[in-house]
Order: sequence, then structure tokens, then C-alpha cells
Amino acid sequence: MSGVQPGLLERNHFLLRRLHSLSGVIPIGAFLINHLLANSLTPTPAAFNEEVEWIHGLPYLVFIEFGMIFLPLAFHAGYGVVIAMQAKHNVQAYGYADNYRFTLQRVSGWIAAVFIVVHLLHFRFAGLVGGTSYPDVVHDGATPYGAAYAGFQSFLPLALWMIIYAIGIVASVYHFANGMCTFCITWGITVGNRSRRAVSIAMTGLALVLLFFGFRGLYGMSSNFEAGQTDSHGLPADLAEHRGDLGHDTRPGEQG
Amino acid sequence: MPETVTVRVQRQDQRGGRPYTQEFRLPYKPRMNVISVLQDIACEPRTASGEDTTPVAWDCACLEEVCGACSMVINGKVRQACTALVDNLLKEQPVIDLRPMTKFPVIRDLVVDRSRMFEALKQVKAWIPVDTYGDVGEGPMIAPEQADSRYPKSRCMTCGCCLEVCPQVNEHSDFIGPQAIAQAVLFNEHPTGAMTAATRLEALMGPGGISDCGNSQNCVKACPKEVPLTEAIAIAGRATTWHAIKRWFTK
Ligand code: HEM
Ligand code: FES
Repeated sequence: MSGVQPGLLERNHFLLRRLHSLSGVIPIGAFLINHLLANSLTPTPAAFNEEVEWIHGLPYLVFIEFGMIFLPLAFHAGYGVVIAMQAKHNVQAYGYADNYRFTLQRVSGWIAAVFIVVHLLHFRFAGLVGGTSYPDVVHDGATPYGAAYAGFQSFLPLALWMIIYAIGIVASVYHFANGMCTFCITWGITVGNRSRRAVSIAMTGLALVLLFFGFRGLYGMSSNFEAGQTDSHGLPADLAEHRGDLGHDTRPGEQG
Repeated sequence: MPETVTVRVQRQDQRGGRPYTQEFRLPYKPRMNVISVLQDIACEPRTASGEDTTPVAWDCACLEEVCGACSMVINGKVRQACTALVDNLLKEQPVIDLRPMTKFPVIRDLVVDRSRMFEALKQVKAWIPVDTYGDVGEGPMIAPEQADSRYPKSRCMTCGCCLEVCPQVNEHSDFIGPQAIAQAVLFNEHPTGAMTAATRLEALMGPGGISDCGNSQNCVKACPKEVPLTEAIAIAGRATTWHAIKRWFTK
């Protein structure tokens, strides 16, 4: 034996890979489901606002946000990039459907990584790029819907946001649903062919539901559904919108 | 029926040498396979443009797809040369294309060094340890169901197709490949081998082990012996996870 000790990463290689796999499902996948579900409510702003306010009322939210979302996501994405760079794709020579799925798992991971950074700068950390971060807008009195709607009205034309979010949603949902299928192989849950096919079908169904949620959420951003409505506190929503100020080139919403 | 067969061969004179391509044109014979094509080239090693050259080197032994020695990339897909029939290959494309496998070092022309797979078998201890000084008596019986489940895995001929098609096996990764994982499972499922299952699992848990599989599932489709490789990987994935949990709580 040479005296060289294997490094920390080598010694914990198996653990790290298993954590990468697990983190994709819990908490990140679970968060994705909840996130798209909540966002699907935007065409009914009152329901959306109530849902978001419930989330904002959770105790220890900062710890939930950082410990259960940002940290695992940073780990999964960071290590995911390392893993993705190891693969040598060969769909041209071996065009099996599962091989395409493998390649798309990496491609969708890259897209999701870029999209998530854009999305975080667009809302959660807009302060870093000269805007006002979404929680601060809401804190200042805007309704969650109003704040989200204002976000889609700023920085870029609405149509461009729609395209960016559509791509991000499709990539994330594919990545999660296909990842669930490979997760089941990785952990030895779907050992046989038949169970693998069953999980693939079930995950296709889940993906369709999540895509519906995601696109319904986008539809809710396509025009101001809150205009002329009252928010969950019974205040006129267009008034609520003026209480929030995103602080950048917010176009005035259509007045109801 | 064609008069001639045209074959394009990727050649390489020695380890680490620069690959180059030569084309050969041979009289067509009924029921030719790639080995007989290579034999015909060896009889009269002359390129299609009429230059004399050295015979193309290749490897083979059984000629009935059980030894795994003759694997090469034929018309862009890895397979055994001995069972690759020229009539079928010509239906795929007009010029037959022969290249060495890309995941193994080339020794010469179409001959590659498959030692990494045999080293991998040593690493995962793919055997039943029975060497003892004393008589330990008979081993446990094998249930017929267990024999049935092990048999498909035992058909592996170490041909290298699964490594060749695996996107995770390449120069940026030290993934051991599907073949050794399936063999570790084969011996863990043997009642005597099961007694030393933990050592095989441990051997699969380091860098390049089971967790480097990316689940492309190409291996199981490319395997000429229909070894249930993805199934074996799933079984090993579950077993190593349990083993890791048990080890953590008992240490
Ligand atoms: C929307 C957020 C994300 C979710 C819900 C998610 C979910 C998952 C899931 C469930 C898996 C399957 C794990 C397995 O096969 O065992 C997975 C695998 C993977 N993820 Fe993500 N992921 C996300 C973001 C990312 C990002 C940003 C990257 C960066 C490139 C990434 C890269 C990967 C890679 C490379 C794999 C394959 C790992 C392997 O085969 O070993 N993921 N992901
Ligand atoms: S020569 Fe043995 S498999 Fe082809």
C-alpha cells in the first residue's frame, strides 16, 4: 500500500452520489411539485395570494428556504454539473429511447441550472440586479400576485419572459420526471423491466400534470387577472399593486 | 448478388499509434461473415487501390459468439465479428465499416486490450472463495429459482459491448462498467458466494463503482448474451445502499 490516503471526496463518493440522487427527489422534487402547484393558481389571484401568504407564514421560513431549497439545490446542481461533464453522449450511434432520455437528463439539467439562476435574480434576489426582491415587494404591501405580475412586466418584454419560463418549466419537469425513473433504478426499486415501464408511464402522467400547472401559472401572468378584483384582505387589488413598488422600470398594470 | 464486397478498415500499427483507414475490395462469396472477410484480406493483403499492405490483425476464438474475443465496431455499432453476416451488413450500408472498440486500448488494427474488464473482475472478487486448508464439507444447496435467476448473468463473455455503448465509460470517468457489476451480483446470489457478499459490495462503493452508473440502460440493449445488466445494476444499487446504512449504524 502506498501511504497516500484517499481524499475526503473519494472516501465519501458513494454517499455523495446517493445524496445527489436523493436530493433531486427530496427536497428539490417535492419543492418543484409544490411550487408549480401554487403557481398554477395565478389565474385566480385571490387563491394564489392566500396560498403564498400561507407559505410566507410558515415558521422558520428562512431556514426552510435555505436549508431545504437553496442548499440542496446548490449541491445537486453543482455536483450535477460535475456528473454531467463526465458523460460521453452517443445517441447518434445508439439511438435507443432510454439513451435519448439519458442525454436529455443532462441537457435539461444544464437548462434548469441557467433558468433557476435567471428565475432567482428575477424574483427572489432581484435586489442584486437593481430591482426589488420579491419578498421585499410583498413585505411593502403588494399582493403576491401583484408582485409577480409586476415582475413579468419588468426587465424584458412579457413575450420573452413567457418563452424563457416555458423553456425552464419544460426542462425542469422533464428533468424531474425522468429523474424519478432513474432514481428508482439507482435505489433498486424498479429491478425488473415491467416495473420500470410502469414507473415511466406514471411519471409521464405526473409530468403532464406538472406541465399543466406550470403553463396555467404562466397564463395567469399573461394579463392582469387581479385588476378590478379584491385581494384576500378585501382591498381592491389594483390599489394593492400600487402599494408594492418593484423599483425598476415597472410598466403600469392595466387599471381595472 | 454483388460481385465484390468493399470493406473500410480503421487500422493502427501499434499501441498509441495513429489510426488510418484502408479500403479493401474482395470477391463476394455466399454466407460470408466479418471473420471470413478478414481471412480473405489476410490471404492477399492488397488495398482497393492496388497497394500491397500488411494483413489486418483481428482477434477471435470460438466463432460462435460465446468467447467475446472478436467484438468490434461494425457499421458504427459494436458487435461480434463472427456472427456479423456480410449479407445483413450490406443491407445496412454499401461499404462495410470495421473499427476497433473505442473504450479499450488498441493493440493493433482491430485487436484491443480488454484487460480492464478482467482487472474489474478481480476488483469485485467475481469468484467463489473455496480455497481452504481443511475440508469444509459440502456447500449449501442452490434453489432452482436461484439457479434460474443466476444463469442469464453467467452467460457474460466479457466481450466489452456494454462498456463500449456506455456513455459513462470514457476517459473522463473511471466507471468500472456494467459487466463487473453484473458479475458481482452473480456471485453474491450464489449461496456460498453470499458469505462474502459484503466484500464485493464494498468493492463497488468507491469512485468508479456502482454509483457512477447514469442509467442510460444502453448496456442491456447492446449485450449480445442478453445479460440482464440493468436489473443487476438495480439489485447492486439496492444492496450497496442497505450495506452502507447497516455499516454506518453498526460501526
Ligand atoms: C429543477 C430542479 C431539479 C430537480 C427537481 C432535479 C431532480 C433530479 C432527479 C430526481 C434526479 C434523478 C436522480 C437519480 O437518477 O438517481 C436527477 C439527476 C440528475 N440531475 Fe437533477 N434536478 C434538478 C436540477 C438539476 C440541475 C440544475 C442540474 C445541473 C446540471 C442537475 C443535474 C443532474 C444530473 C447530471 C443528474 C443525473 C445524475 C446521475 O445519473 O447520476 N439537476 N435530478
Ligand atoms: S469469436 Fe468468440 S465471440 Fe466471436
